[in-house]
Amino acid sequence: MIAFVSGGARSGKSRHAEGLARQWQAAGGGELVYLATARAADAEMAARIARHRRERGAGWHTLEVPLALDSALAEVGVGNTVLLDCLTLWSSQWLYAGGGREAEGEALLARVIEVARARDIALVVVSNDLNEDIPPTDAETWRYLAFLQRLHRQLAREADRVIEVVAGMALEWKAIDRQPSGERDVETRR
Amino acid sequence: MQSVIGGAYSGRRRLVAERFPRARWHRLVKGEGAEECLAGHAGREVLVVDGIAAWLSAALAEIPDDDALRETWLRLLDGLVAAPCEVVLILDEMGRGIVPMDPAARRLRDHNGWLAQAAVERSRTAWYMRHGLCKQLK
Repeated sequence: MIAFVSGGARSGKSRHAEGLARQWQAAGGGELVYLATARAADAEMAARIARHRRERGAGWHTLEVPLALDSALAEVGVGNTVLLDCLTLWSSQWLYAGGGREAEGEALLARVIEVARARDIALVVVSNDLNEDIPPTDAETWRYLAFLQRLHRQLAREADRVIEVVAGMALEWKAIDRQPSGERDVETRR
Repeated sequence: MQSVIGGAYSGRRRLVAERFPRARWHRLVKGEGAEECLAGHAGREVLVVDGIAAWLSAALAEIPDDDALRETWLRLLDGLVAAPCEVVLILDEMGRGIVPMDPAARRLRDHNGWLAQAAVERSRTAWYMRHGLCKQLK
């Protein structure tokens, strides 16, 4: 199962995504893994990370992965539940800190989706909706927005569930009725 | 008329291209009206009208008076609604960010939002695109 959860700033998207991940983990078993893309580059960012960690509560195994999401996911145990927060930050780090190219970034996301499917990982991805603002006035911002939106469209196309969060409420954009991944595991574990 | 609204790179054009594979596309050029969009267009085929945000930006710079500007885009919309062919209008959602510091950007955002409301009001069906997925608004 793959879910794509997005919304505006402070819309409650992380909270909703965490709830969904817990729900999937409760149904399917396995560990709760948090793929954190944020690096504490300054005090504000460190406080933000600490707040997110506090709000998430206990029970999460945290992996800090600023760039190599695909190889990090390949290390996650089969049948676990993974929360990736957030794709927006990853995309800017990929282009500007990692020096990555757009096409390679899209290929990396494709591998993430592929690994999640192959390893029966329930994956919840959080991102920010940034494309409904006034159009950018410079070419670089356009390039970034185009890249982020290609990732978002790719994810929305592949995901089983696509959820928009507005003021803490979830709007369902796509819901494919699929057996929770863990339920099939229950059969094999018996 | 039918409308498709969405943010930047939300997949509006792909949706329209898939739904109306034989449509003729017209990109609005600064100063144009409905007559220019419809010129030489056979009544039977679907006409897709694109580029309205750039058209509006240009009009904004030319027409300082808000009422006159409103009249200009209303005339365009009414002309497209009255067209003998089916018109599909591609609209831009740009109202969900921070209020711009620049007054010209605020004015663009305001008129674009009013224009979109008026267009959807005049449309038989309207779609909202988000990350390549669509919801029918009406």
